[in-house]
Amino acid sequence: MAKVGIVLLVGVILVATFAPFLATQPPQEQNLEDSNIPPAGLTYSSEEIAFVDGERQTVTNTVQGSLDHPLGTNQLGQDIYSRTLYGARTSLAVGVLGTVIALLSGVTVGLIAGFYGGRVDDGLMRFADIMLAFPALVLAIALIGLLGPRTLEIPDPFVAAGLADGMPETFTLPLTVTLVVALVNWVWFARIARGEALTVREKNYVKASRSLGASNRRLMLKHVLPNSLTPIIVLATIQVAVIILLESSLSFLGFSGTNLSWGFDINQGRDLLATSWWISTVPGLAIVLAVIGINLVGDWLRDALDPDIGGERGGM
Amino acid sequence: MRLTRFFIRRTLQGILVIWGVVTIVFLLRFITPGSPIDFVAPIDASPELRQSLAENLGLDKPIYQQYGEYIFNLIQGDMGYSFQRGLPASEIIFRRLPATLELAIAATVVAITFSIPLGVISATRRNEPVDYVSTGFSLVGISTPNFWLGIMLILVVGVQVEFLPTSRRIIGFGGALELLVTEQNFLGLRVWLSHIILPAVTLGTYFTALIVRLTRSGMLEELGKSYVEASRAKGLPETLVTYKHVLRNTMIPIITVLGLQLGTLIGGAVITESVFDWPGLGTLVIESIRQRDWPVIQGAIIVIGLGFVVINVIVDALYAYLNPRVELE
Repeated sequence: MAKVGIVLLVGVILVATFAPFLATQPPQEQNLEDSNIPPAGLTYSSEEIAFVDGERQTVTNTVQGSLDHPLGTNQLGQDIYSRTLYGARTSLAVGVLGTVIALLSGVTVGLIAGFYGGRVDDGLMRFADIMLAFPALVLAIALIGLLGPRTLEIPDPFVAAGLADGMPETFTLPLTVTLVVALVNWVWFARIARGEALTVREKNYVKASRSLGASNRRLMLKHVLPNSLTPIIVLATIQVAVIILLESSLSFLGFSGTNLSWGFDINQGRDLLATSWWISTVPGLAIVLAVIGINLVGDWLRDALDPDIGGERGGM
Repeated sequence: MRLTRFFIRRTLQGILVIWGVVTIVFLLRFITPGSPIDFVAPIDASPELRQSLAENLGLDKPIYQQYGEYIFNLIQGDMGYSFQRGLPASEIIFRRLPATLELAIAATVVAITFSIPLGVISATRRNEPVDYVSTGFSLVGISTPNFWLGIMLILVVGVQVEFLPTSRRIIGFGGALELLVTEQNFLGLRVWLSHIILPAVTLGTYFTALIVRLTRSGMLEELGKSYVEASRAKGLPETLVTYKHVLRNTMIPIITVLGLQLGTLIGGAVITESVFDWPGLGTLVIESIRQRDWPVIQGAIIVIGLGFVVINVIVDALYAYLNPRVELE
């Protein structure tokens, strides 16, 4: 199963990186004449009442899907295939960046708390409890809804180099979303790092090197951190999946600030389920495949690196 | 005695956590760009009108005074008046609360009913087809965003088959029960059930999948222990070994994780409600954030935090009950 996971994960990374080459048309390009076309190989018929020469008639419209739009188009005539490719960028960027920020801040706090113990530990861990007491999604919605969705425009290197003309020149990173998902997830890293620091600091080799005059900083970076890496890596993998799900929920609710995201596209098709079901279905499948890939890799890492790690999945 | 001390201690801790939540929620208003007055006053309001509105809502006072008054009122159950609806925020919130509670409980019932048997079967018949199906299901379950699952259920069950209603909550459980008792009428209960099935399955799937995974891996670990062999050797029937001994020992870590995942359940409820137009706290929070209706936002988040703390204490007590070795500290 690990192989399936790696294939899926590598696939998502490749798609996200090379989206400008793989896309058949710019993801934002609208073409109202081509709206609501079904995926290739499918036909969709609808009946509507029209007035022809002043007479009421029922007209049957049949739309045939074709390879021009392999996964169909949405109500704005945007190509769903191209949008799904670009959506991978948003998910992966927020997932990885959010996890890295959460990891760095969480591990720092956790190491300090566990290593110094006492008041520092109590204070930091009570604060962590308050963070845990809070449903992450509710907190994230509140923060983003109130702070407003800031975004960061990052130039696309392929387009800048003239390799993919016509594709969007910049990639929109939902900045508030990234920071907020990190803010609601750092606690899990802090808890693990603290636990590890607590056990490691009592080990004899740490005491020995302390008595040789090693500074606290050196002890933490040289001894405690390397020993905590395994569970942190496993948690980080799982957190990428959790954050991708969180990001898609936020953009589904319209809080993300970018309109190139799987969650956003799912929301677009919501009112058209009875007719153009593919608008919501395709990006959802993309999320499921990406997250399954990451979860499989996470399971495999956990079994391979450390069979003793207890506790399944961090929180979302 | 031990239990009383534990509860006092946990209640004090809970109060501390709630105080932290209240403070953060209160400060949120001051780091938010734009004044709440912008959302209350008409666009062409004169500075005088804006000033008198601010005075009316108590927004012109210094921050520490507003904070003190807010806490003071909160202790008395007063969350202020909604900026938009002219009703007490607490009234709006508590009118919405039952819908969310019903949804969360129904989802938990769905999750527990399906997950534990599935996890047990999966572990006892390891590497048989039924195990593959169950592991596959649980992998997909924890990887599917619940709003999309909800939409797919609406698409398949609601739109194509037209089997179940896909939105709103016509009648509450309380109302349905009342109808049953006073008029011996089952219609209310049937309508309630038909409306809650899809949202409950949507919200419950992630937890079903999560518990299946936990039960399976926990059972496998326990089954390898020597007490299992000993029980079998002394002739205990396999069912008794599995359910009485192994499952009970497996439940302990499961309950811990579930306690930690409650936030996910509540967060999931918010988004499930918005998919199914369910009139609960979640849709209320989202509406209020869009309208910058501060008293309602603050109140709703505090109520959610409070519920979370209360459930956590219950989970801890349950944990101690199942595992007497646990120190109630």
